[in-house]
Amino acid sequence: MNRALRQLIVPGTAVAIIVMLVLLAPVLPLADVRGMDIPHRFAPPSAQHWLGQDEFGRDVLARLIWGGRASLFIAIGSALAAAVIGTTLGLLGGYFRGVVEIVTVRAAEIILCLPPLLLALLVVTILGAGTRPLILALTILYTPNYARVIYAATLQVQGLDFVTAQRAMGTHPIRILWRTILPNVMPPLLVQMSLVIASAMVIESGLSFLGLGVVPPTPSWGLMIRAARSAMELAPLLLVWPSLALAGTILTFNLLCDRLQSVLDPRATTAGGALWLRNPRRRAAPTPRTTTPPDQTQAPLLEIRDLAIAVNAGRQPMDLVHNVSISVQPGETVALVGESGSGKTLTSLALTGLLPDSLSVTGGTATYMPRDGVPIDLCQLDEQGFRTLRGSEISMVFQDAAAALNPVLRIGYQVAEAIRAHRNPSDFELDTAVIELLRHVGIPDPKARARAYPHELSGGQRQRAMIAVAIANSPRLLIADEPTTALDPTIQAQILQLFRTLKDDTPEMGLIFVTHDLALVSEIADRVTVMYAGEVVEDGPVAQVFAQPRHPYTAALIASVPEGGAERLVAIPGTVPAPNAMPPGCRFAPRCAHARPECDAAPPPVIAPAPERRTRCIRWKEVT
Amino acid sequence: MVRYIAYRSLMALFLVWVVVTIVFLLLHLIPGDPAELLLSQGSIAADPAAVAALRTKMGLNEPLWQQYLSHLAGVLTGDLGASFRDGAPVVGQIAQRLPRTLEVILTAAIIATTLGVPLGTFAAIRAGGKWDSAISLLSSAALSTPVFVVGSVVILIFAQQLRILPAGGFVAISVDPVQHLKLLMLPAGTVALGLWAVITRMSRATVLEVLQRDHVRTARAKGLSHRQILRRHVVRNALIPVLTVLGLEMGTLIGGTVLVEFVFNWPGLSGYLVSAVDARDYPEVVGIVMTISILFVFLNLLVDVVNAALDPRIALARS
Repeated sequence: MNRALRQLIVPGTAVAIIVMLVLLAPVLPLADVRGMDIPHRFAPPSAQHWLGQDEFGRDVLARLIWGGRASLFIAIGSALAAAVIGTTLGLLGGYFRGVVEIVTVRAAEIILCLPPLLLALLVVTILGAGTRPLILALTILYTPNYARVIYAATLQVQGLDFVTAQRAMGTHPIRILWRTILPNVMPPLLVQMSLVIASAMVIESGLSFLGLGVVPPTPSWGLMIRAARSAMELAPLLLVWPSLALAGTILTFNLLCDRLQSVLDPRATTAGGALWLRNPRRRAAPTPRTTTPPDQTQAPLLEIRDLAIAVNAGRQPMDLVHNVSISVQPGETVALVGESGSGKTLTSLALTGLLPDSLSVTGGTATYMPRDGVPIDLCQLDEQGFRTLRGSEISMVFQDAAAALNPVLRIGYQVAEAIRAHRNPSDFELDTAVIELLRHVGIPDPKARARAYPHELSGGQRQRAMIAVAIANSPRLLIADEPTTALDPTIQAQILQLFRTLKDDTPEMGLIFVTHDLALVSEIADRVTVMYAGEVVEDGPVAQVFAQPRHPYTAALIASVPEGGAERLVAIPGTVPAPNAMPPGCRFAPRCAHARPECDAAPPPVIAPAPERRTRCIRWKEVT
Repeated sequence: MVRYIAYRSLMALFLVWVVVTIVFLLLHLIPGDPAELLLSQGSIAADPAAVAALRTKMGLNEPLWQQYLSHLAGVLTGDLGASFRDGAPVVGQIAQRLPRTLEVILTAAIIATTLGVPLGTFAAIRAGGKWDSAISLLSSAALSTPVFVVGSVVILIFAQQLRILPAGGFVAISVDPVQHLKLLMLPAGTVALGLWAVITRMSRATVLEVLQRDHVRTARAKGLSHRQILRRHVVRNALIPVLTVLGLEMGTLIGGTVLVEFVFNWPGLSGYLVSAVDARDYPEVVGIVMTISILFVFLNLLVDVVNAALDPRIALARS
């Protein structure tokens, strides 16, 4: 039994107990609910009357249980009646659509124009107080709720293949609705039912409290609370019992509804939250500055050594990225290439501390050389430490600009915000800077576009705006995560051109260009790092790697794109292995045409076939 | 945007017409004679002469369509008829009592929002933790306790036991502002509790969802502080659905404060409705129901317009 189902036990049992109690009321050894005992009015709890006696000396416990019987009878009765009518309307409306939908679901929805308690009051005005008018009023009230929910569920179900198949076979619609669709819309129906019972009890008790519902001397919780109010000074407990019973019962049904929902739709309850927001000082970070003496002239901008990223799964951490080493010189462009799942995006996110909550850096170093010349190990930084670097020293351009920009803020504001996060310019300076930035990234009419919202721009312009945000503070390292993937080929070329312009304008800026598209690499990058299954498999200057790949995976990648210069395109057989099922030896071996038994024996070491070249293949000499 | 507002306003007007028609039909198409229904007490039959007189007075002898037109004309000119009980125009009573009801609802909405949005956000950030569970349990309990139970219990605690606030009643603010506010505290607080629960839950759910969106990661990548990210990129975006729910809830409350007004003896519109129902005063009931429904429709319109202002995509998508 899974966790969600176990959660159902408590409210489920409670509901069962409540229902049993009121069902068994006639056979339980309870005192007579109408048996008055005036001399003992307001008597405190005693052995005979466990909860005491009310203003007429009647037994409170008996009245409580019988009162629950009245409340539940009305609530469940109207919930069932409304369920039958509403479900029928919803099924018909959802199945036949068109005119039928208008006369069923849409017609029922008109009722929702009126506030619920008001509608109930109106019906009671017309029909008078009492149990039956109450059930009628509540039935009318809740029918549209069911109709709506079932309508939506029917729409979903009837698009499924098995319903289409039955239709095609000429099965009678009634039969399809009854035998196929109804069982499939049961889950939302159950949730709705528990919700309606709780809600109907609220309204029923409210009307009874006003004297417009259950008619005395029939006991009801609403009436008991009404009576207890006038005796509040004498016997405050008389108010407490029915209040507890009423609130407790409604709470039980509400809990049941919540739990039902989480059982039926587990996605809704997956705990999210944001670890990065919780404890700014999670680790008492030992000064992240490394001991290496600053060597300004030759030091790389970024030196990643043996980086490892793992899932913080319950049992043992599972490595997603493993032994990754990359270095970026000032002014250099490094392309990070690989299929999806190779770990290239995770590596780039780790450099700015933006990994999802479930992942974390578990090893290695990433030494970054900031403007002030004192190297920092990015793998040791906490959220607070990253904050000062993000946007000013290291910036990111994300893949899907439509999602990465805030839809409800103007473009100009989002760019200005990036500037203000690190500098404090005057309003005028800020405006000028924003417009200059937008112009710089090639947005036409930047003054007007600054006032536009993201959805008012084209895809290419959004990506340009995203780039403007990233370069707002002239970062020393720009990380672009698949910046052209979501764009049309012609726009792709324009954005790529923009990156080249940016590089020319800021010769000191390092660029990490993450992509799965090998064709882009030769156009923009100086060096290329090929990743496979969380590892770097090959690394070297672009021209050399393309001319003479030293890893079978690189060779296969080149052969699989038209721009690779291959005579015949060859797809790579198989897929990237799952992180929990990594081959013991070379991770590419199962898909490799050059694989030999020794490849599976042990993970291959990193070999340098030439200066500035690295490969993780023991048979690199045979790769062409 | 202008087109969107125009479109939504037309929709609202249409809904108002629907409501006016429903109320009319409800009272005229039900089986039985409204005049007889109104005059009869329980099983005692009404005096036929009185019924006939009332039929003429209510115009029930005219054809249905004529009654309907004069009813519509009355609504359009703000004439909701005269009360059976005292003959005074219904509109006057409504104008006097409506502000009192709105005062309770608005105060409650302000209390509920200022407490609910931060608590819901806090719970979302700590999703799955101890604080989250505590807030969730508290809001479930608040949602499950009917408002008249809360009202009765707070009277028991604050008025009866602690004796720090009056149990109920009303004093006009022009007469005694301090006493007016004191009397407002308990009813507004009672309404606020349920509203607070709804807003807290809604804020938690939407903040959780917004936190997972890409633009929050962008905000972090800019190097913004947590407070800036939360305020501008999380809560601001999450507020849109929260405000929608608040608007809908307030709409429901305009007719739903019946119980609170009854419990605290607050002479608002809803209490007026109950006494009208009790007295079977037909013009009063119709007038109040109509006023509330129309307010309800216009509140929804207001919510839509505010949403469109907060999220520019809405106007684009729906117009």
